[in-house]
Amino acid sequence: MTLRGFALNDRMRATLPYGLIIVLWIGAGFFLPGFAKFGHLRYMVELAAVIGLVGIGQTLVVIGGGIDLSVAATITVAAIVMPLVSFAPDTTGIGAILLTLAVAGGIGAINGIGIGILALPPLIMTLATATTLQGLLVIIAGGSAVTVNNPLLVWLGSTRLLGIPVDILVWAAIAALCLAWLHGTRTGAAVFAIGTNALASRLSGIAERRVTLMLYTISGLTAGCAGLLLLAMNGQGYVGIGDPYLLSSIAAVVLGGTSILGGRGSYAGTIAGAILLVTMTALITVVNASAGWRSIILGCLILGMLPLSGRDQNR
Amino acid sequence: MSLYWAIQWRRNEGLGALFIVLAGFLILYAVLFPGILSIGGAGRFVQNWFPMALVAVAQAMIMLTGGIDLSVGAMVGLGSVVAATSMGGAFGIAGGTAATLGMGALVGTGVGVIVSIGRYPAIIVTLATSFIIGGAALLILPRPGGAIPPVLSDFLAGDHPTAVLLLILLVLGWKLYQATPLGIGLIASGDNPTGAYRSGVPTHRARIVAYALSGLLQAGAGLYVAAQTGSGDPVIGQPFTLAAIAAAVLGGVSFLGGQGTLRGALAGSLLMSVLINVMFFMNLPPVAQYVVQGLIIVVTVALPQLKQMLRRAVR
Repeated sequence: MTLRGFALNDRMRATLPYGLIIVLWIGAGFFLPGFAKFGHLRYMVELAAVIGLVGIGQTLVVIGGGIDLSVAATITVAAIVMPLVSFAPDTTGIGAILLTLAVAGGIGAINGIGIGILALPPLIMTLATATTLQGLLVIIAGGSAVTVNNPLLVWLGSTRLLGIPVDILVWAAIAALCLAWLHGTRTGAAVFAIGTNALASRLSGIAERRVTLMLYTISGLTAGCAGLLLLAMNGQGYVGIGDPYLLSSIAAVVLGGTSILGGRGSYAGTIAGAILLVTMTALITVVNASAGWRSIILGCLILGMLPLSGRDQNR
Repeated sequence: MSLYWAIQWRRNEGLGALFIVLAGFLILYAVLFPGILSIGGAGRFVQNWFPMALVAVAQAMIMLTGGIDLSVGAMVGLGSVVAATSMGGAFGIAGGTAATLGMGALVGTGVGVIVSIGRYPAIIVTLATSFIIGGAALLILPRPGGAIPPVLSDFLAGDHPTAVLLLILLVLGWKLYQATPLGIGLIASGDNPTGAYRSGVPTHRARIVAYALSGLLQAGAGLYVAAQTGSGDPVIGQPFTLAAIAAAVLGGVSFLGGQGTLRGALAGSLLMSVLINVMFFMNLPPVAQYVVQGLIIVVTVALPQLKQMLRRAVR
C-alpha cells in the first residue's frame, strides 16, 4: 500500500482543486480561443452555482458520516412543485419560493427522521426517498414540462449586479453562511465529531440525532435552492431535470478533498470541486460531445480522485 | 449431517414472516389469475421472475461482503447490449453468451479489486462504475437495437421451462460455491473481516471472486432480458438497481455484511416480482412500482428498529 504515504493534510486537499482550476483555465485559454474570456468563465461559474448549492448539503451530510442520494429527486421536485404552489395574491413570487423550499426541506427532514431517529442506513433511506419521489413525480406531473413565470425567479435568472449574475451572488451568500456555520459554531464542530465517531460523540453529550436531522433537512433545503436556481436559469422544469446532479454533487465533494468516510473536509473544497467539474465537462464537450463518453469520463474522474478522499481503514 | 440440517433450519430464523407473506401473495395471485397453475402459466411466471432473481442474488452476494452495488442496473443494460450485438458475430450464440458473461465477470473483477485491495467504499466505487458501465453501454448501442437470434429467445423465454432449470442450477451452484473455501470465506470476511483474515481466510480473493460472480449474474440477467425483448437496450436495466436492493433487504440480507441467505434473497425477489405483476394487472402506472419499492425498503429496514425502540420504551 504505497499510497498510504500519499496523505495530504486537510488544508492542502481543499486548495489542490483551486490550483487545478487555475492551471486548466490558463492552459485551455492558450489552446481554445474564447475559453478564458471573462464572459465564458462567468458562465461556467454560473453553471457551477447549481452544483455548488446541492454540494452544500452533500458536503455537510458526507462530513457527518452519511450520504444523500435523494438530492437529484429533490431538485426535480422543487422545479416541478414551484409552479403548482404559485398563488395569485403573491405578486412578487416570494411566497411560492418559500413554499417550495418548505417542501424540499420537508423531504430532507423525512430523510433525517429515518436516519437520525430510526437509525436507518443513510444510503437506504435516501435511495428509497429518491425512488419514491421519482414515482410520485411522474404520477403527479406526467411527462409535460412546466414554464417558469415567477417574477422573482425570472429576475434571479436574468439580472446582473455590477456584471455578476445574481445567481452567483446567491450562491456566494449561502456558501458564506454555510462556511461560517460549519467552522464557526458549536453545532458545526459537532458535525465533524459525529462523522468521525458517532458513538463517541453521543457518549460525550452531543445531540447526535438532532444534528443528523438538521444535516439532512439542510441538504433538502439546499437541493431545493439548487432546483429553483436551475429553473430560473433554464426557464423550464421537467421530470429528470435534476438527474445529473446526484453524481456531480458527490463528485464535487470528492474533488474538493472531503473524505467520503466522514469527519474530514470543508465546503471550501467543494466550491472549487464544483467549478473544476464544470470546467472539465466543458473541456470534454469540446473534445467529444457523446453522452456515453461524458458519462465514462465523469465516472473515471471520481474513481481517480478516490485516493485523495480516504479509504476504509478498518479491514 | 443432522448438524447441517439443524444449522440450515436456524438460518430460516427471521424469514418466517416473509415466507408467510409470500405464500399469502402467491395464493392471492393464483386465485386472481388461475392461469398460473397450469404448466405453461407457471413457466411464464418464472420467466418474469427470473431476471429479478438473478440481480437479487447478485446484490445479496455483494451485501454479504459488507458492500453494496449501485451499478446493477447499468450492468444489466450493458449485458443486454453486449448480448444483442455479439450474437451475430463469427462465434454465434455460444460466442455471444460467452462474451456477455465474460464481460460481466471481468468488470466485476475490476470493481472487486478496487473495493477490496484499494479499500475504497463500495458505494462510491459502484456509483462511479455505474456511470462508466452505463456510458459504455451507450457507446455500444446509443439507442435500442441489435438482435438476439430467435432460436435463443425461444430457448430462454419461449414455451420451455428453461428458466426453472436455470434457477435450479443457480441454487445447486450456490450450494457448491458455499462448500468451497472461497464461498465460506465470502460470508466470513463480510461478517468479521479482521477475524477472518487472522484465521487465514483469503479475504481479498473471496471478495474479488464474489464481485466477479455477481457481475456475471448481472450480465446474465441482461442477456435474459435481451432474449425476452429480442433486442438490446442500454437503459433497460435502470429499475433493477433498486429492485435488487429491495429484494435482498426483504430477504433479510443485512447491509453490514455476513448475514443473509440465498433462499431469503430468492424469496424477496419473488415477492417483488409478484407485487409488480399484481400492480401491472391492477392497471397502475408502471412508475407506481417505484413508490411501492421505496416504501417496502424503508418499512422492512425500519421495522426491527421500531420494535427495538418499542421494547425500550416499555421497559
